[in-house]
Amino acid sequence: MKIKSLSAISGITIVAIFISATMSLQQPATAAETTATAQNDPMQFARGAKAWADTCARCHNMRDARSLRDDQWRAAMAHMRIRAGLTAKETEDILAFLQGSN
Amino acid sequence: MNTTQRLTFVTLSWLMLATATTPALAQASSSRIADLEAKMNAMAAELAVLKEELAAAKASGDSANLQAMQADINAAKQIAERATQSANEWKDVTSVTHLSGYASADYVSPENGNAAFIANFNPMFHFLLNDKLLWEAELEIEVEENGETAIGLEYTTVDIFLNDSMTLMAGKFLSPVGNFRQNIHPSWINKLPSAPPGFGHDGAAPISEVGLQLRGVAPVGDNSRFTYAAYIGNGPKLEGEDGEIHAIEAEGFAGDPDDEKVFGGRVAFLPIPQLELAVSGAFGNAAVVENDGVDFEGDPTRDYKVLGFDASYRWNDLDLRGEYIKQEVDPQEMSVAPEGGKWETWYAQGAYKLGQGKWEGVVRFTDFNSPHPDDSQEQWAFGVNYLITPSAMVKIGYEANDGLAGEITDDDRWIAQIAYGY
Ligand code: HEC
Repeated sequence: MKIKSLSAISGITIVAIFISATMSLQQPATAAETTATAQNDPMQFARGAKAWADTCARCHNMRDARSLRDDQWRAAMAHMRIRAGLTAKETEDILAFLQGSN
Repeated sequence: MNTTQRLTFVTLSWLMLATATTPALAQASSSRIADLEAKMNAMAAELAVLKEELAAAKASGDSANLQAMQADINAAKQIAERATQSANEWKDVTSVTHLSGYASADYVSPENGNAAFIANFNPMFHFLLNDKLLWEAELEIEVEENGETAIGLEYTTVDIFLNDSMTLMAGKFLSPVGNFRQNIHPSWINKLPSAPPGFGHDGAAPISEVGLQLRGVAPVGDNSRFTYAAYIGNGPKLEGEDGEIHAIEAEGFAGDPDDEKVFGGRVAFLPIPQLELAVSGAFGNAAVVENDGVDFEGDPTRDYKVLGFDASYRWNDLDLRGEYIKQEVDPQEMSVAPEGGKWETWYAQGAYKLGQGKWEGVVRFTDFNSPHPDDSQEQWAFGVNYLITPSAMVKIGYEANDGLAGEITDDDRWIAQIAYGY
């Protein structure tokens, strides 16, 4: 009974978060914006290189930047952001580094 | 004649001559002038015509060239614009599709059983929308002993990036409890050709879950961070056999016969990027839904608990990791299988890269304890890998297995594997 009401409350809370989250999906954040920030942020590549070296050999061998195209890295980095526990900013930095190194 | 007379005479005769010749002279010069004048006029007229023609030629010639040039420029501009547009298309699109995954082909040769080739293929799909939503899905396709093909949906989740640090996932996901299942099991990642005992099906570690999961990160200072995952899901099913719980099936079901959700998660701390220390667990309820191989209804529920610890450390070419995990269910007097049970396993693994990362040596020890002695197993596994690329390799492994005498858990074996993460 205790677990049941607990699960109902958390269920409702999570569904509420989910709905509000889907609302934020409407504003696109394209890679063009990322590129624009990269031009305004010359340190991004260096930060990305460090975060890449620190993070990307934790679970598996370090994949070569040249093994994927820029757009493929965009999808792979979205995936790895969740797996590796990265912030959006760290993800953008590493993406800029990988896209600049392939 | 005197001088004066002579002078007058000469003057007069000069005058007469002059007078007589002057008209002729005048006549001659005036005709030449007229001639010249005529010539000059003609020339002037000619020049004017030429000038006009030149001007006309100039004007008409330039504008044609200019027009042609302008047209060329416009065409070139359009081509360049189109080319840049399509070259930049991938940057500006709102969705990206990516096909990835991994596959392996193995040769397994046990000391007592029959040697055989095995093969599997795990395609993975990524659909990214606006850099804010990722749909990830993976199939596991395997050839079975009887030649049939087994297809499983390893996971399918919609991942929504809530903010800088949090992601919400819904669907079927790999269990975030423990580390091996969610992060190490793909054949191109696992440094040995087999999973450590207890991390497979019917083992000590849950495999997957259907529900909702929240994942995130909390950086601490410049170099440290916490990562976390919390979930709610349908939970496992219990399999009864001969009045005992044969196994906890924690493989992600789209149904919940015990009608009680399971909660769980994992928190990891990385004091430095090379060291990860994590604790994970889950709790909820479970019930027997299959007894002696047939579906079974109405079994009362019982408590279900999971607890795990895992750690990993990297230092240059050395990679160390270890994990402990246990999954248990309480006794339930009213059940067809009244006893509870505990499935517990741990492993420690060391790997070292040599030859500029082309070769790798691996050692792993595992101790898996199940309530059923014929499933329990201790294992030493040794491996040598040749890395064609960081995600394509040839692995040779040897397992020294110690289980119940006469069981396959006691059979040592060699495994050769080619694995590729693409
Ligand atoms: C927490 C563990 C972990 C970390 C850290 C990690 N990866 Fe992965 N990575 C995985 C797993 C697990 C897979 C395989 C996923 C599957 O097959 O379901 C994978 C797959 C990949 C793939 C294959 C394509 C894909 O998207 O699945 C690439 C490329 C990749 N990782 C790159 C990276 C990069 C770059 C980093 C650093 C930012 C990184 N990884 C950090 C666990 C990790």
